[in-house]
Amino acid sequence: MDAALLEQMLLGALLALSVFLPLRCGQLSLATPGFYAVGGYVAALLSTDVPAFAGSGATSPLAALLAEMVLGGSLAGLIALAIGGPVLRLRGIYLAIATIALVEILRVLNLNLPFTGGAMGIFGIPQPFEHAGGYVLFTLGLLAVACWLCQRLEAVRLGRAMAAIRDDELAAASVGIDTPRTKLIAFVASAVLAGVTGALAAHFFNSWNARAGSFDASITTLAFVVFGGSRFWPGPVLGGLVLTALPELLRPVGDLRLILFGAVILLGPLFFPQGLVTAERLRGLAALLGRVRQAPQAP
Amino acid sequence: MSASPGGITPAPAPLMQVEAISCRFGGLLALDQVSLELAEGEIFGLIGPNGAGKTTLFNVISGLTTPSGGRCLWRGVPTTGLGACGLNRLGIARTFQNLRLFESLSVRENVLVGLHHAARAPLLGALLGNGVFRRHQGRLEARAMELLALLELEALADQRAADLPYGDRRRLEIARALATAPKLLLLDEPAAGMNPAEKEDLRQLIGRIRDHFALTVLIIEHHVPLMIRLCDRLAVLNFGRRIALGSPAEVRRDPRVIEAYLGGQASVAGEGQ
Amino acid sequence: MDLLQILVNGLSVGAVYGLFALGYTLVFSVLGVINFAHGAVFTLGAYFTYLLIGGAVGANGLLAGFQLPVALPFWGALPLAGLGAALVALLVERVAFRPLRRRRADPLLALITSLGAGVILVNLIQLLVGAESYAIPTGALGALPASFPLLGARVRTVQALLLGIAVLLLALLTLWLEGSRNGKGLQAVAEDAETAQLLGIDSTVMVRLAFGLSGFLAGVAGGLVGLSVSIAGPYFGIGYGLKGLAVLVLGGLGSVPGAVLGGLIVGLAEAFVPADWSGYKDAVSYGFLFLVLLLRPRGLLGRPLPTKV
Repeated sequence: MDAALLEQMLLGALLALSVFLPLRCGQLSLATPGFYAVGGYVAALLSTDVPAFAGSGATSPLAALLAEMVLGGSLAGLIALAIGGPVLRLRGIYLAIATIALVEILRVLNLNLPFTGGAMGIFGIPQPFEHAGGYVLFTLGLLAVACWLCQRLEAVRLGRAMAAIRDDELAAASVGIDTPRTKLIAFVASAVLAGVTGALAAHFFNSWNARAGSFDASITTLAFVVFGGSRFWPGPVLGGLVLTALPELLRPVGDLRLILFGAVILLGPLFFPQGLVTAERLRGLAALLGRVRQAPQAP
Repeated sequence: MSASPGGITPAPAPLMQVEAISCRFGGLLALDQVSLELAEGEIFGLIGPNGAGKTTLFNVISGLTTPSGGRCLWRGVPTTGLGACGLNRLGIARTFQNLRLFESLSVRENVLVGLHHAARAPLLGALLGNGVFRRHQGRLEARAMELLALLELEALADQRAADLPYGDRRRLEIARALATAPKLLLLDEPAAGMNPAEKEDLRQLIGRIRDHFALTVLIIEHHVPLMIRLCDRLAVLNFGRRIALGSPAEVRRDPRVIEAYLGGQASVAGEGQ
Repeated sequence: MDLLQILVNGLSVGAVYGLFALGYTLVFSVLGVINFAHGAVFTLGAYFTYLLIGGAVGANGLLAGFQLPVALPFWGALPLAGLGAALVALLVERVAFRPLRRRRADPLLALITSLGAGVILVNLIQLLVGAESYAIPTGALGALPASFPLLGARVRTVQALLLGIAVLLLALLTLWLEGSRNGKGLQAVAEDAETAQLLGIDSTVMVRLAFGLSGFLAGVAGGLVGLSVSIAGPYFGIGYGLKGLAVLVLGGLGSVPGAVLGGLIVGLAEAFVPADWSGYKDAVSYGFLFLVLLLRPRGLLGRPLPTKV
């Protein structure tokens, strides 16, 4: 498997975690690609227009990448913070459609704003790494941190509050959980993760345009989570890795490729309604590992 | 109707005052100028036929429904606009008639969610899972197990709430409400679906937790004999209006109550078994 | 461009959005989910119309050079294309919705399975007839002139047709929903599927009916848009599909008049966007949607759902 594909898969896994965070709190938000696009534009603009970030023009310092990720994540988070209050009052399919609307509004803005390069977008984004392998290692680190945070979430107060809201929002409010605030935290965290991922992706892809955040991407990233399983963080990660790789792996079948991809998306939920990663399978895996290492500890 | 005469007069500083609450849903007047006062430490019963507005009153007191008129006062301070979360933090916890547990969580986790208010640990420590956080977590777990033991659920701590039998689910909901450290506990038909022996256990349990936690309890229940033996005072709702208020003995003799219960069924007029 | 021209443009585009949203709303009202394959069914309707009036497939795709042996007039082709689209919609129901219903799975999954069905359809079109755009010749309307004068403005016949047919279909649909046994059955299932089942209404039949009707509406809308602005390739339904989604929520989920009202509002609003800002035209519907959701979360004509405690 070549490193470029591996990098795309890792980016897919990060985006899947971004969709997973609000869903863990019972909120179906499809806004992830919008925030991803915003993060990417921040990185693309800074590293092509601002000398301090641009490096030599062809390569840029790692510190600049980190700063762009912080800024991209922050801008995405701020947008989420600004709109999250009213938007998160919506429930179920209304929330989903409102977030699709948000993605479309951002896409149209990105197409038309005077500084985002129109339909062609922004080119020649400098490279902080010489090879795709560098991106892979870096992204692997980022994914590991994101997974570790998701795992810790299971054990802390905020994570329990999110799970309670997912199960029954009204009952959660009745036991003293500030539900609007908890939902907003999940939404903002999702946006920050998507923004950070976008900043990294813009460098990797070398160019960035409004297509990064489209309705298609909204549904594809949701498919990652549904396919992998929306209950535990390994589900979205697996879904993101597999479904990003699939169209590439199907390349040998030529024109049938996207038809087969559609068939996988169609059949996946029919055969695995809970997704690939479920509580039972995780317990089974933990038991298996426990037998090997004598360390029973199910997530 | 004015406050009950003589005998069991409410304490001078009522914990909760319900002042002329009205609730209109479309054309239906679910509550019509209902007033109550809950004194600290009492067990107060709310009875009345189906559709009398009892659960609606619960929803108003616990902040799930905004009344169309009237207000509630907590220790003399209006609670208007606080919402379910804010009222819980004031000290009002409730259970639900149709049981609203966190189904996918374990019994222990359900109670831990109830301990949310007490669970604030330093974020960095919590993320790292350091010693401070682990000790903090240990105290929470111990508190949760204490509550589960009190409700005889400790053996089920690791089961999923969705897998519990009915009676255990009712008690788990009470445990979860108690975890929020309330001053006022609202119980919506806690004895529904229980046999006589279980009802008797429940009666003793409610008395026990009232004493143990120094609670005030407001309880809705259909089984009138149980209520007569359990409650210090009773109010009767019918078609959204409070038609009687007083000690169980007074309410039992009230002709309007007997009329509301179809000409005085044995369950009202008769002695509880 | 004078006011009347803008009005006609806006209303005719709005009529298409309305037809689109009607299809969504029919399915939503019985199943409570959005059918993301709807845009692909709309696209198919346009291609069916093109083939039925005797259009030939271009040089790309497996069907290169293919042409039906018949060349129907547009009037005959449009309803047949609608029927073809209805059949496809039924197929979508069969593969992407019914298995989930049978398993009582999370309705959220239908978003994904229907999208999968849509991806298959769109790429199948591409495989068969290629990605190029097709134009339905204006001669398809026979003796009708391409445009006619109205109160001093020139109105394209196609636009008038779009508006007229949309209004006609809405009227028929409303009559049918209120007046016929099946129409009432559909409403009963939308209200409360379990009770309807107890009353002897076969909800499976009603669901199929909803899909068939929504497919027909989408197919007809596709044919009309194909005639009006040409078929821009296999993906051309997606943009309309998204606008339809905005219109659906704008009008109120599950509300038939709401869908049409929402469509006309969005169509008009887009038509009034000044030329200098035309790039932002696509954001108008979503901006509207956003505002309405924040001010009136159930949409313009949607009914509030009581929360049960």
